[in-house]
Amino acid sequence: MLSVEGLNVHYEDLQVLWDVSFEVNDREIVALIGSNGAGKTTLLRAITGLLKPTSGYIHYDGITLNNKRPHKIVGLGISMVPEGRRLFPKMTVLENLEMGAFLKDARQEKQETLKLVYEIFPVLKERSQQLAESLSGGEQQMLAIGRALMAKNSFLLLDEMSLGLAPLLVENIFEIVVQINNAGITIFIVEQNVPMTLRVSNRAYVLESGHIVRQGDAKMLLNDSNIKEAYLGMSPV
Amino acid sequence: MGQTLIYGILNGALYGIIALGIALVFGVMRYLNIAHGSLIILGAYGSLILFRLGIDPFASIPVLMIILFLIGTILFKSFFSHFIGFSEGNKIKNSLLIAFGLMLVIDNLATLIWTGDERCITPSYSGISFEVFNVRIPVIGLAGGLLALILIFILHLFFTLTYFGKSVRAVSQDHEAASLMGVDINLTYLISFAISVSLASIPSVLIGLQAFSPTVGIRWFNKGVIVVMLAGLGNIYGVFTAGLFLGILEAISVYFFGAPYREVTGLAVFVLVLILFPQGLFGRKGG
Amino acid sequence: MRINFKNILLIISLIVFLVFLPVMIKSEYLINLSLMFFLYVTLAESWNLLGGFTGQISLGHSAFFGMGALITRFIWLGKIPILLALVGGGISSALLAGMVGVPCLRMRSAYFPIGTLALALIAEITVGNILPVPGSLSREYILEYDIYSRYYLALSVAVFTVLVIYLVVYSRTGMAIIAIREDEGAAAALGVKTFGYKVLSLMISSFLAGMGGGIFAYQYVSYYYNSPFELSWAFLPTLTTFIGGLGTIVGPIVGSMCFLALSEIFAISLGEVHVLIFGFTFILIVLFLPGGLISIAKQSRKRINIRGKKLFKHV
Repeated sequence: MLSVEGLNVHYEDLQVLWDVSFEVNDREIVALIGSNGAGKTTLLRAITGLLKPTSGYIHYDGITLNNKRPHKIVGLGISMVPEGRRLFPKMTVLENLEMGAFLKDARQEKQETLKLVYEIFPVLKERSQQLAESLSGGEQQMLAIGRALMAKNSFLLLDEMSLGLAPLLVENIFEIVVQINNAGITIFIVEQNVPMTLRVSNRAYVLESGHIVRQGDAKMLLNDSNIKEAYLGMSPV
Repeated sequence: MGQTLIYGILNGALYGIIALGIALVFGVMRYLNIAHGSLIILGAYGSLILFRLGIDPFASIPVLMIILFLIGTILFKSFFSHFIGFSEGNKIKNSLLIAFGLMLVIDNLATLIWTGDERCITPSYSGISFEVFNVRIPVIGLAGGLLALILIFILHLFFTLTYFGKSVRAVSQDHEAASLMGVDINLTYLISFAISVSLASIPSVLIGLQAFSPTVGIRWFNKGVIVVMLAGLGNIYGVFTAGLFLGILEAISVYFFGAPYREVTGLAVFVLVLILFPQGLFGRKGG
Repeated sequence: MRINFKNILLIISLIVFLVFLPVMIKSEYLINLSLMFFLYVTLAESWNLLGGFTGQISLGHSAFFGMGALITRFIWLGKIPILLALVGGGISSALLAGMVGVPCLRMRSAYFPIGTLALALIAEITVGNILPVPGSLSREYILEYDIYSRYYLALSVAVFTVLVIYLVVYSRTGMAIIAIREDEGAAAALGVKTFGYKVLSLMISSFLAGMGGGIFAYQYVSYYYNSPFELSWAFLPTLTTFIGGLGTIVGPIVGSMCFLALSEIFAISLGEVHVLIFGFTFILIVLFLPGGLISIAKQSRKRINIRGKKLFKHV
């Protein structure tokens, strides 16, 4: 279980996150929605150790993550599919996946995990010898997710998965996210694509200018008129 | 002409190995280690000492590799680790300055210890050469060329088959993403730097078998960096070919214009490539 | 340095002191030492314009120094008055800078040092190959050799150099080049012709360095032509300026003084110990005290900015 309490994060001299608190329980799918610049990616970077929070706590399964270095945090059970995918462009699909299984335990189970990932994303098997940079947007997203799965962690952070993808692909990816969750992996999903995200999530938080302004059951939020107006472009009816 | 070409190729192989060490550090962490030449000379003195103890220069390579690896880790931890997180431009500038200071320290320490006299390691086989098709190929040069090829091959295996090798490539392509995979990037930087310094062991011996003195390190670095720029900064694979290219080009210019202008070729090539191909002759990163 | 009465008085008294020094103390050793000092100051100040104020660190200023020495020597030996010869030397350096330095500037600025280093190295080797025989003076030149006129000439060139640097730095050009040093991208976005200013800075810097080289050539009766091209002449201004205080006018002077003092102290004992010390100090300065020695004295944080992080973020 991931719990964040009173997190304040600065980027250079600018405060980006203010007193952010939330939790994600095991096997849940929890969403963080908010517009561009709200601070969503900053939050994920703080959780994964790429950024140091100014104050506040991040706990995972009882362990404080705050000042730990990113590679340690991965070792503690949290994997992230970063915004923009961040694949290794000059490495093949297979090599990218292998890098996903860099951690000692994951490395041992590499072959089996690889089989699973190829089942979920058959196109990756086809393109296994191709360089990551030569894949299409959708394929790259699948590779990024597959790579994160290779670590065999039970907590997955998804940062703006749907960015730049065609709607059909987006639906596809979200279905797979549900599949992954059903297999027992806790998911924290950060998105601008509100409707799809809320449809698959259990609960959601709304981040606005670095503050958590709403939270609750995902279905409820989906039907909430304010949310509809702010994020779905619908006028309050 | 053929003779000049052979020398050009063998020189080129040497330039290539020197460039490899420089390119590795630069490709992985964007550091420009201008002390690399001085470290090579340091190794040459090491090889000389071992030679006087009865160890053949080529046999001393593994020993030098280990010693230089250790020196590399110490240097990295003491001086070069302080700015590993800076922006690319600042990393280049800071590493350049620190390495500059280091070069002065190493060169002058060497002068103090061994005096400025020119040295040369002369095993029994120094003067021997093969004769093939009217061309003489010095044994040492040939051995150097073969070593270079073996080295490239081993490095290739290292980078493609081992997990650590792959992680080095990953770090050089996207270090944040690499850390999200569980790679300890600081450790990777440390070991990559140390490997780069240990790679200086081969040119150490080859140069030791020619002539060397405490302050010539920078000249070898210069050759290496021209080759690195020819290959395209960050491209580790094209470096050897670029080295051969420079060697052959120099040989041709010596044939037509005479020896005094050999170095000018290097500069001319350097400037031309910079103006015409800012990305280097072989394009961008090979990772 | 503010232009106030006290500072001007200080500078004038210093210059007066230097003018009367050879009269007060009749020591050829001291004269030679002072001459060296003026030479170091000229070279370092010229280097600092490009490196400290414009942010383009040149590791190859020896090429400009050597070129100036070469051309000045030839012009002077052609029976032309030394002052004109000096100017000729300076111009030749600027021309060299134009030919090879400018392409170096076209690189991303982080690679400029490497380009200049390559240039200097190749110049050193090539000149050594083409002109291996040391130059010497004919009898009549030797007869009219006078150390005092050389002292005053060197002093004048040094003062001239510092004056030029001062005028440039405190002019609009100075503002432009400092802006380029701090953030080239932002300066360009504001409409500053960054490349033009970098070239200008390079030209002035190399001209002055060339004149310094001319002084060198004028001083020595006989020397190897590639001696002023030696890389140590490239490392010297870099070292002394950094340690004295990069991007300040007084820095190169302080650094040169320290270097000269150290080299005299250690000259009697072991060969290159002073360079060793300076090299190590240089590393420490870059890592921990980017403002150089001046910053200790001055307590001004002009060169060290950004909360707590003291390393070179803006060089």
